[in-house]
Amino acid sequence: MASKGWAIAAAIIIIIIIIGVVAYYMSTRPGPVTTTTSTSSPTTSSTSTTSSSSSPSPTTSAAPSKPVLTGNFEKDVIAIGKYLESKGIHTVKFTVWATGDPNSVMRMYGLYEAAYRINKIWEENGINVKIVMSKFWESSFKKLYDEFLSAVPQGTNGDFFVNSYIYIANLASQGYILDINSYVEKYWNSVFKDFYTPLMEAAKYKGHYYAVPQDTEARPIYVRKDVAACMGWDISNLAQLVKEGKFTWHDMYKKAEEAVSKGCAKWGLIHRKGSAHPDLVQFIFAYGGKLYDPNTGKLVFDVPAIYKWFATEYAFAQHKLLPKDMMSWDWAQQIHPTVVNNCKGSPTGCTLFFIGGTWHWTEWQTKAYYYDPSTGKRRPLTPEEEVKKFYYMLFPAGDSGDKPVTLSQPFMWMIAENAGKDNPNYDQLKDVYHELAFLMIVKASDPEINAIHSVISGHVPVRKAAAALLKNETWINDLINMKINLSPEVKKAIEPIVKKTASKINIEFLANVSYMLDYTHLAPSHPQYPKLAGYFADAINKVLMGSMTPKDAVNYLIQKIKADPDLSKAVEIVGSIPTNWSFP
Amino acid sequence: MKIRKTSLLFFLGPALFVVALFYIIPLFLSVYISFTPMVDWNVNRYLTQFVGLQNYERLFHIVMYDPDMRAVIMTTVVFVLVTLVINVFGGLLLALATYFMDEKMSAAYQGLWLLPRMTPIAVYSLLWYYFFHSSGIGVLNSILLKLHLINHPIALGLDPKYLPWGAWFIIIFVNGLVGVSYGMIIFYSAFKSIPRELIIAARVDGASTTRIIRHILLPLTKWHFTFVTVWQMFSLLMTYAQTFLLVEWRVVDSTWGQTWALYVFRTAFTTTKDQGLAAAASTFLSIIGIILGIIALKALGYEKMILEPKGDI
Repeated sequence: MASKGWAIAAAIIIIIIIIGVVAYYMSTRPGPVTTTTSTSSPTTSSTSTTSSSSSPSPTTSAAPSKPVLTGNFEKDVIAIGKYLESKGIHTVKFTVWATGDPNSVMRMYGLYEAAYRINKIWEENGINVKIVMSKFWESSFKKLYDEFLSAVPQGTNGDFFVNSYIYIANLASQGYILDINSYVEKYWNSVFKDFYTPLMEAAKYKGHYYAVPQDTEARPIYVRKDVAACMGWDISNLAQLVKEGKFTWHDMYKKAEEAVSKGCAKWGLIHRKGSAHPDLVQFIFAYGGKLYDPNTGKLVFDVPAIYKWFATEYAFAQHKLLPKDMMSWDWAQQIHPTVVNNCKGSPTGCTLFFIGGTWHWTEWQTKAYYYDPSTGKRRPLTPEEEVKKFYYMLFPAGDSGDKPVTLSQPFMWMIAENAGKDNPNYDQLKDVYHELAFLMIVKASDPEINAIHSVISGHVPVRKAAAALLKNETWINDLINMKINLSPEVKKAIEPIVKKTASKINIEFLANVSYMLDYTHLAPSHPQYPKLAGYFADAINKVLMGSMTPKDAVNYLIQKIKADPDLSKAVEIVGSIPTNWSFP
Repeated sequence: MKIRKTSLLFFLGPALFVVALFYIIPLFLSVYISFTPMVDWNVNRYLTQFVGLQNYERLFHIVMYDPDMRAVIMTTVVFVLVTLVINVFGGLLLALATYFMDEKMSAAYQGLWLLPRMTPIAVYSLLWYYFFHSSGIGVLNSILLKLHLINHPIALGLDPKYLPWGAWFIIIFVNGLVGVSYGMIIFYSAFKSIPRELIIAARVDGASTTRIIRHILLPLTKWHFTFVTVWQMFSLLMTYAQTFLLVEWRVVDSTWGQTWALYVFRTAFTTTKDQGLAAAASTFLSIIGIILGIIALKALGYEKMILEPKGDI
């Protein structure tokens, strides 16, 4: 018995010691802003352009005063460089965390190019400071967001975070990203005035800028021309009919049914997998619904529009025009091959319609989704082949009287609240590191960098000067021939993509889809929206699988919202299931 | 006596330290977090804020009103019970089979069953993702289609026709295949530690294999049986990794494939990132685990097994 008592006593003492150590560590532990842990997980790759020591060294000249942004880029860069040099800093390390389709690499390399250009200014002015960049790429934007959330408290996050604007609200409310309002104001006239207003608005949270737009896009419906021809359907004026609201989702259904019944395609419609945001929530807008009420600041659960969305997809799936297990399809193995190829043994495409995005246009030119029957091998499509295969149009209106839509999910440059954390004297110099990070974003937003990104990734420019470059024949030819003035590293990284995608056809495509932005909607930037969007995905999966009727799915979501105290406070449920409406 | 106490501390100390560091403290931390409003891993903001029982009230509200929670509870009960039976009795059967095999053959056979445990979780789950995939690219579907047993691919884990059993079958199958090897190893080692003379003597007396199993092997491995049962029960209550990936990749229905442990994980890491709520759900699961553990130990006669021998040794 005595030995048992001793063992228990020993255990208690050990636990107390450990708790004491943990408590001491927690009480003395600096916040995320002061953490200096380097980004070791997830692994990052860094450039090797550093040529100077990063250890602080004493300075002999009179120290310049702490810089304050003026709105004059070169002046600000020089002032920051001189100040850092005076503090003995010769190397500044930054890491960018970015995400997207395989062609959107300029979300990382835009900042590499910015670093290169700033380094050049410093070099020309005899300032011995260099920016060294590292990068981390994750193909899923949601996964990158999850990783960023858990990394910030540990101080292992990237200094720059390039992701969808929908996360701004949550990241800003948690204090994870920097309020750059005062910086943006300084550069308003010289830079941000040129940006499209709705995109700048999307970069705000509670009236303050927390981000800078990097790109945007439209989500066209792609139509396989060969399938339409097989049906004997003349689609030459279809985009116009959609634009005028004369071709609705009811007509989409009829055409999809016709394509399948005539044996011209296996499927009538294919769309994204996994999540409902952003592609599928377009249905809510197409049926005249809304997701957010700016007057109340609340999310809106628009019952009639959501019911109509579910009923539309239910009809497609139940009549085998859309795969029931669409939400679990594999992008590379199933979705893209189904869209770009012909079905086995068929002379025409596998699907009539595809709810896609502008970036797919160039993705199909760089990824080997197309099965070439002449060689028996997979390869990317050429721009010419794409023109031959695909027609594109807006997301049609739900009912007659509704309007066609598209949905944009602008990507944003964001600066982590602890940006610069991996550099010496962070506590004293953090404001300077933050200013430098902002200036890098300013440089990465150069029209040329933005335009290159648009051409190679099929995204729409965020500023007028970049859009103008896409109409500049000389500039286009320079890009095609890679005569653009870029750092050797960035040039090398993007050259293979440029070779495949920089073509006049693609630039024409961007010009052709740009009108869609007049019809665009943005999903709400609300802290609770990602949660609601997650519930939408579960519900639509059940509807497609047939385990819930549209009515059951709407009621299921209402129950889910009401069961969650936080969500029920943030969401306003409006309207009721329409009784005198049916689909198709 | 003093030397005995010092020796006890000396030998038990390191183990106690490890147990405290990796088991007791995380448990206390989890309970502590359940009393904070922690979301989005914002440790610096929320760790010192105290919200009392708010997370438990929210959890209760969700359990009462969320349409998926009934399925979560049912899935947890079915998953733990069925997989436990498979893991314990499957492990026992495999151990018996390999015990009576030739040594080399036995090692190879055990190695084969250990493969799922040795394969990284993501790779193992990916294998079953492609096996159970709901379309023609799924291995199971392509086999059934080739054999003309089905005309169209079936979505076993998703199609309402097969729910909830289709989803349950997949998660039980995938987890059972991993868990069964644990019982096999423990029981096999236990059988091997029984003096060989006992078996030989029984054989000489004409005992059949069944009798040897019933009267020698099983009675002498009661302790191991109790250990495997209780350990596996705890493991199954807490496990989520393979199931998470299958649900996330949408091979299994997100409602009927979600156990309580997976609900905790998704709440903390993926869906709502509400660590306060997840910690409350996790604490609840720990309490259930402790109660079930005590019941299982009582039912399996643990107290009798640890009684000191009545006679002198």
